[in-house]
Amino acid sequence: MAKPIQDSKFKIHNSSIAHEEHGSILSPLKALQFFARKPVTVPLEPRPAAANYRGFHLNDHEKCIGCSSCQKVCDNAAITMVKVPHLPEDPVKGIRNLRPAIDYGRCCWCALCVDICPTGSISLSREYVHTCTQEEIDSYFILPKEIGIHGVDFGLGWTKTDDSDLLDLERQPMAETAPKDRVDNFDEIVAGYTDQQAVFEASRCVQCGMCNDACPTHMDAPEYIRAIWQGDLEEAVRQIYHTNPFSHVCGRVCTHRCEDACSIGRRGEPISIRWLKRYAMDSVDHERIKAIAAEGKVDYLSGHRIAIIGAGPAGLTAAYDLVRRGHEVTVFEARSHAGGMPRYGIPEYRLPYDMMDRDIDVITSLGVKIQINTQVGVDISMEQLHGEFDAVVLAIGLHLGRSTRIPGSDHKQVRKAVDLLRMITDGKKFTPPKQAVVIGGGNVAMDIARSLARLQMQKFGDVKVTVTALEDKAHFLADPVEAKECSEEGIEIFDARGPQECIVERGKLKGLRTWKVRSIFDEQGRFSPSYDERDEQVHAGDMVIEAIGQMSDVSLLGDELTEALEWQRGRIQVDESGHSSVDWFWAAGDCVNGPDVVHAVADGHRVAASIERWLSMKTGVTV
Amino acid sequence: MTDDHTSGFEKLQSKKSLADILEVAIEFERTARDFYSGLIPKVSKQIRYLVEELTDEEQRHFDLFSELKSRSDIEQQIQVMIDTPASDQRFSDAIHLPDLGGSPDDQSVLQYALGREHAAMEQYHALAQSTPDGPVKSLFIFLANEETLHKNQLEKLYYELIHSGGV
Repeated sequence: MAKPIQDSKFKIHNSSIAHEEHGSILSPLKALQFFARKPVTVPLEPRPAAANYRGFHLNDHEKCIGCSSCQKVCDNAAITMVKVPHLPEDPVKGIRNLRPAIDYGRCCWCALCVDICPTGSISLSREYVHTCTQEEIDSYFILPKEIGIHGVDFGLGWTKTDDSDLLDLERQPMAETAPKDRVDNFDEIVAGYTDQQAVFEASRCVQCGMCNDACPTHMDAPEYIRAIWQGDLEEAVRQIYHTNPFSHVCGRVCTHRCEDACSIGRRGEPISIRWLKRYAMDSVDHERIKAIAAEGKVDYLSGHRIAIIGAGPAGLTAAYDLVRRGHEVTVFEARSHAGGMPRYGIPEYRLPYDMMDRDIDVITSLGVKIQINTQVGVDISMEQLHGEFDAVVLAIGLHLGRSTRIPGSDHKQVRKAVDLLRMITDGKKFTPPKQAVVIGGGNVAMDIARSLARLQMQKFGDVKVTVTALEDKAHFLADPVEAKECSEEGIEIFDARGPQECIVERGKLKGLRTWKVRSIFDEQGRFSPSYDERDEQVHAGDMVIEAIGQMSDVSLLGDELTEALEWQRGRIQVDESGHSSVDWFWAAGDCVNGPDVVHAVADGHRVAASIERWLSMKTGVTV
Repeated sequence: MTDDHTSGFEKLQSKKSLADILEVAIEFERTARDFYSGLIPKVSKQIRYLVEELTDEEQRHFDLFSELKSRSDIEQQIQVMIDTPASDQRFSDAIHLPDLGGSPDDQSVLQYALGREHAAMEQYHALAQSTPDGPVKSLFIFLANEETLHKNQLEKLYYELIHSGGV
């Protein structure tokens, strides 16, 4: 691009039209005067641009997470996301190996891409000159990096500022019951969003979809958040039910990996995706939710019968999918209520059971039969299930608690957290200890500590609960909010403490002796605690509760099926769709993939899809 | 098991040559291997992998010590192997030694294995401390290191199996 000619002697003062001038006969001779003149050239150098000029794009590839917000905001469709294979890709952490490429044939340099970028990786430089030959026309389509289009530093032009930033980095606060008002009851702590708060919170979303990538069941969160923003709550529920029939539950107790991956969280607070789901589900009439869930259900019966063992999130999600496809589904539940681990492991102040019952009611309204108080292996044998049903799904959760088996742990006042939580759920009479010591640093430990604190407050008017965890606070397994709320409710947490002995004197439990954990992981990241026995503490208590780990009770399988199945390090070996090595048998949820509600929901979908394919292949009919 | 190790201690203390000491150590590994392999058909298939892994590990030690015993440069080899001693992290000290019974669960098997490795480790350490500097002491240190390394591996497995589900 040439510099504009400014010299006044080149200006045309004559207004006559040049092509009409015939010229003089002496013109060729006049031209000879130029032979002796020094040629005039104009250098091809641009002038410096203004400080906030909108020149070519720069992108810091280290900072960019490939969220595509720039692409989505571009009205000219000038941005294409390009896969860069050597860059890291981790959906759970919210990282894609995509980077924006700019088509300067379309770009209008509006800089909306800069203003919306969640990470602040994109900016515009002060460089604006690029020329090329016809053969190099593709060079107007570039993958900007931090070095500039020509590798020359022209300085930053338009960058994100507080004034230009399109993002709202602060989430809407969630109202909660104050610690002093909640510690003597099991009422739900979280109040939920108001209509206005929900719309404000939804308006913060940039629709990048990182949440969808991270979610185990790939919930259409951008879509339901958009519907909430538009005020169409039934549409939000419809989007939610595409992937999750346990949304009252997940709207309250999901581990919300989506929020860990949310691009807004790079510089601010991630969108409250879980609370928005809760808001949508709570806002729509239950009968309407049932009607929405029934949309798309086939109007015929396939003639196939499926048995599901366990009425938790995995089993009931599989049942939901299968019944919608016309199969007859019976769920066998050993306990008195459906709900599985969330009902029998999560206290009501986090998950009110009437809200869980709504999820279950939607599923049964579609035709799923749940036989409660029916223990497979006792009330009905596995052979019967195999004989009477086409396929069997095992989704039994992790209802057995592990024990530390340290000295004194066989005392009757050393209890397992899962057993106590189940008793509390069942409303069984239970005298809380005056002083309790919990071993464990996960959410189960927090759940039992907080439940006991409530029972103590009701009975004694005081809270005396101590939690001892092997992990230090930086490696705590529990949700940080849980640990914080524990402390607010008067529960003492001792981190990096290794249990050594439950102290028993004259037959009475006196407490727990612990050593300091100096370090917890080895250089490969495997657990390898190192203890300092000089730092010993005794935590007084008349009950010690072990909340260290859980396992499945697979004895219901019987010897024959146990031998027939392939196992993978103590768990039933299944393929990626949940199908075991035995043709008619699937397994899903916590019992094969560890504890997590939304993972269990995802498992349920996978198993249902696998059974569907298997039935089609078996019968030769696409059902 | 404690009795076995006490008599093992005495047996080893009375040995004077490296080959003799290794012979006793090899016998320890053989009895452990045979114990675990005998347990394989008794436990549920669900946890059979664990007992099989323990059998393999004892077999590996058996092979290692046997190979060492057959070498002519045995003194030099032991010196190289103890250059990076393993450190005991005292995790399994508080774990009871259970009576395994006829059909033990995974935690009992691991407790038993941890207890055995710990006792063997302590025994070799004690022998090393009561032995003057020289090739015999080096051999005891090497054997103690081997048992410590195995114990550390088992401790990691113990946590992953027992302590990792409490979330």
